[in-house]
Amino acid sequence: MAAKQNLSGASDSDQSSPSDQSLSNRSINRSLRLAEKERRKNEAEDSFVLALKYFNEGSSPCARILKCLVPSSVVPQEAVVRAVVWLGISKIAVSTQILFVKWVLTMFDLIDAKDQLYQIYGFIFNFVTDENLCPFICHLLYLLTRKENVRVFRVRKLLELQSKLGRQAFLLHLLSLYKVFCPELVTLSIPSRMKTGFKNHNSPWKSALVAVQKRNGAQVALSSSLSISTSRKRKLGHMDLPTLTPAVNKLISLEPSLSRKLVPLVQIQSFTQLLENIHQIELPAQMGSLLGSSLALHYLDCLQDESALLRMNFWLGYALHEGANQNSDEAEQFLEKLLSTQQFLQEGFFSTEAFLYKFLNVWDGALMRPQILGLISNIPVIPGSQIGRLLFEPLMQLFFTSALYFKCGLMDCLNNMLLKWLTWHSVYALEDDLDISLNSHTSINFTLSGFKNSVEGCHSLLLSFVLDFYETVCDMFLKYGLPLVVMPPPGVFYPAFFATDPVSVDRLAYIMYRYKMNLTSAKYQEKRTEQAFHINGQTFLEFNHYVGLMVNCLWNAKMFEPGIGIELSEKLLLRSNVPNYTESFHLIYHPAFLSYAVDFHQQCWPKRKNLDLTSIKESKPWRWYLEFLFSQGFNGLKHFLESNINWPVAKGSSQGDGVSSQALRWHKSLPLLLPPGSSPLTQPKFPASPSLVGAFTVDSRSLTASDETVADVRRANGRTELLHSASLSDGEAALRHASALLPLPSSLLLMCPPRYRPGVARFCLFLANTRATCETFI
Amino acid sequence: MEQKENRQSSLVRTPSSPAPLQRRSKSKSYRQSYRSCVGAASRLCFTPGLTARRLNTSRRPPRPRNIKEQLDPQLLAVLTKTEWQLSYVTPLFQFRHTCLKSYARQLSAFLAAERQQGVAVEVDGDHGFRVSFSVVQGLVESERDPEAVLVQISSKPMFGRPEDPEKTVWSGWFSCVHGSPDYLSSLPQDFVCLPLFCSSGPETLTSIVKSWFRRFFDCSFGPLELDHNTLQWFVTLWTNCQRETDLQRLIMLWTIPAEPPLQVSYEVDAQDAWDLWCSVRRSAQQQQEEEEETEEAIDVKEVQEFMQELKHHFYRHFRLNLSAGNLSQVATALGSAKSSGRIKISNSRYMITTLSLLTECALLKMPI
Repeated sequence: MAAKQNLSGASDSDQSSPSDQSLSNRSINRSLRLAEKERRKNEAEDSFVLALKYFNEGSSPCARILKCLVPSSVVPQEAVVRAVVWLGISKIAVSTQILFVKWVLTMFDLIDAKDQLYQIYGFIFNFVTDENLCPFICHLLYLLTRKENVRVFRVRKLLELQSKLGRQAFLLHLLSLYKVFCPELVTLSIPSRMKTGFKNHNSPWKSALVAVQKRNGAQVALSSSLSISTSRKRKLGHMDLPTLTPAVNKLISLEPSLSRKLVPLVQIQSFTQLLENIHQIELPAQMGSLLGSSLALHYLDCLQDESALLRMNFWLGYALHEGANQNSDEAEQFLEKLLSTQQFLQEGFFSTEAFLYKFLNVWDGALMRPQILGLISNIPVIPGSQIGRLLFEPLMQLFFTSALYFKCGLMDCLNNMLLKWLTWHSVYALEDDLDISLNSHTSINFTLSGFKNSVEGCHSLLLSFVLDFYETVCDMFLKYGLPLVVMPPPGVFYPAFFATDPVSVDRLAYIMYRYKMNLTSAKYQEKRTEQAFHINGQTFLEFNHYVGLMVNCLWNAKMFEPGIGIELSEKLLLRSNVPNYTESFHLIYHPAFLSYAVDFHQQCWPKRKNLDLTSIKESKPWRWYLEFLFSQGFNGLKHFLESNINWPVAKGSSQGDGVSSQALRWHKSLPLLLPPGSSPLTQPKFPASPSLVGAFTVDSRSLTASDETVADVRRANGRTELLHSASLSDGEAALRHASALLPLPSSLLLMCPPRYRPGVARFCLFLANTRATCETFI
Repeated sequence: MEQKENRQSSLVRTPSSPAPLQRRSKSKSYRQSYRSCVGAASRLCFTPGLTARRLNTSRRPPRPRNIKEQLDPQLLAVLTKTEWQLSYVTPLFQFRHTCLKSYARQLSAFLAAERQQGVAVEVDGDHGFRVSFSVVQGLVESERDPEAVLVQISSKPMFGRPEDPEKTVWSGWFSCVHGSPDYLSSLPQDFVCLPLFCSSGPETLTSIVKSWFRRFFDCSFGPLELDHNTLQWFVTLWTNCQRETDLQRLIMLWTIPAEPPLQVSYEVDAQDAWDLWCSVRRSAQQQQEEEEETEEAIDVKEVQEFMQELKHHFYRHFRLNLSAGNLSQVATALGSAKSSGRIKISNSRYMITTLSLLTECALLKMPI
């Protein structure tokens, strides 16, 4: 044999000369590192060739030397090729042969190149017939096999062996690899309990190798190819992800030249590989299997094939319909998986959407709640004409019959959905047929007019979620370019403003501040560009009304001033025995801030024994008090006051007038926000009637606003039974409004100092009484 | 493109923002991909199917059809002799009626491999099982219906002599009779929709065949149960055949949700049932006379009324109101249907009607 002669004659001189050369090259300093590598390689080859000489002789020292043959850096490929060639001459003892193949397997990762080894694949394959070598050769082949190596005659040979040797793990592994490459040639099913990997490791060798490598500081990754994992579990369940297997049904691609180029997705192991082959990837047999691999999801993200996506949707829809109705860990995990996939893709699958519309009608609101709510928030934009029937109708039923946590969860889910819709709109608005600006107006109104009734209960946790939602709503124009401004309904505004926790009031103030920013910039744009959209005049009126109320209460202490919406007859107010009732929601006396005022008072005048909160109203302490509040983190309040009240002007003015002049300044700033042709204070008002019922004169504007919402809903939905208030007459609506207005819980008492409790209690009592009177009147 | 622009400009559009945003070009979306293939304004008109699709409220009375002339009598015998377990199947991807031979080879190899797990088998070889795929020509109603496909697995008896004939151990067939043309036309070319799968034979073989189809055509199988409503339709449609074919008896099995559960077997002489049905039919048609509808379609109201009358009759005799219960089984000389999804078609004359009702049920189960 030529190779043998070549090697036996092989010579140190042959090898040493290039090494000398490389040494001399070093002085030239062309490429130091390259030369160094070359040198090490040559040195390595020297020693290996020397060692393998013993191998050639086939004597017992050979085995001993082989055992000690631990490479310090790399194993030259050529040496391995030559040694494999020697295997062909059966001069060597069987045990030595096995030892050698084991050695190659252990050192496989250190072989510097594999191209020549690939070329002698057929030669190596011939050794499988050798009964002793077969397990090890199979392993070696497993490491070397590429698609072009899988041929019918080789498959036949392996099948023949299998019938002779029985079901052997090593044959099975090799065959399963063949199946990955050419599923049409091998039909094989892998048993559920299969031993993982080949067991050909030689641990002392490996540890010696690691020790040597460590000593030399070489960083060669080991062991990745030494074992393979084929853990497979078989479960009977609809929600199992199919395993990623290459397509079997290839009858379509009749051109073999074309199909050969395709790379099955299973073979893609890294992202770079994916990028290299992105145009020739072959889809797996079952599209559902893509969900199981993060790499495949990247591919799914850029997949354009409609049939493939439809296959995915068919499978997913099937799995959801068959599996989601039972509360099992399996179903939960599946939905989690789906959720994370959709989050990764930033889009929901169609079949998920279809499933949800059906499922919501039978959902009890508890089964896998976090997952279902998560999926709902992924629902893409639906036209306003459908949204009610598909989504809000079932959700509303659940909302009214569920506990607080569900309500909070649902509000959060709707907020997330709105955020996604807005983002989607800002990206696609100009290209897509679906302009959200038309749909969302109805949908947002719809959502909250539907849900606001229950906000009246006004738990602060729920309120916080509702305010979250409005924080998104108020910034729609500036943040997402959506030409729409929708004000919160009274059922949200009043509970938030009269809340006992300062956080809600602060957030409401922030929201109103953002509304102002949005409206001003919309107004500005309207002036600048002719063709811009028109914001409904009603929106400006509503906004002005809310801001007017807030400033009058918090700053001017004129709560029951005519024109701000809450009008009670003087008699009634006097009868309540609340001292200074107009000040009840002044920044000092507001239940949310009272404790801060007291705190401030103590810090400001530590020596005073009597609590006199009115002294805070004086010019200097007033400004200190505001600073004090802002330092407590009430940034929303700060923004609100700074934007609506000309703040620095207060400096020069005297104590009494300062407040009112600030308010005047605020009035001046108003007309900017008004729609052309209307002035702020000319809205129609109901005359206050002397009777007790008439004592509640409800602002007409907020009423008409909510009526409009109802009309919107009716238009959108074609049904009336959805909204409770839709069937109410105006008087009843007014009462509902009033009761939304006065939610003062008794916990307020606990927040204020004892001296003040009787007064507050009386005020509360008054409110409760009037409410009770109204109720009896109905 | 221009059209689109025009339409958009008439709407309230997002004004161009002061700082020009980088708009991502919309290439695809999982949602739109489906919409575009279905056609946004078609069948679903934006509503995903499930919420809109319902069982037909009216259908034509069964007409006897001599499909014996169209169908291979041998195949017909196979289809009518056995009781079938029903499943629904999502559309098959890249199924070709022309490649049945190759499918048979692949499936038989797969069967062998599954039977002896861990041993690879050659695709062309003798594995003890012979699988045959055949087209059941003529088992269609409308143009769009793809031809039905019958799969049979036969094997030689374990201890039989070599000259013993092969015995069919499992059979199953896929069909689509009078499938909703809108649904069928909405699918891309790559898919063949044969939504109704009937199988008969050992459960292990059924599951192996199903899993082979899943892998080969990326489809999914789900159980097809027949609900109360569908069984009511069977009662009515079959009764309506009494004029041409003697039904002998109409047998209904009711399940009453009592404690313990009560099963009521209710048998009616076919002629009596027919008389009752005629009276329901007559009164209903009198009402419709003004509308002068030549179409003698059976309406769901008539079905309900007929069932109501049957229940009344039962109440009069046994003082037991069946309204609280559900039909769990219906049988006549034409065949039998069970709520668990088992069906037997004894008479081939009305096979098409039965199958189109079942196809409709299967299509209703489609996830999208």
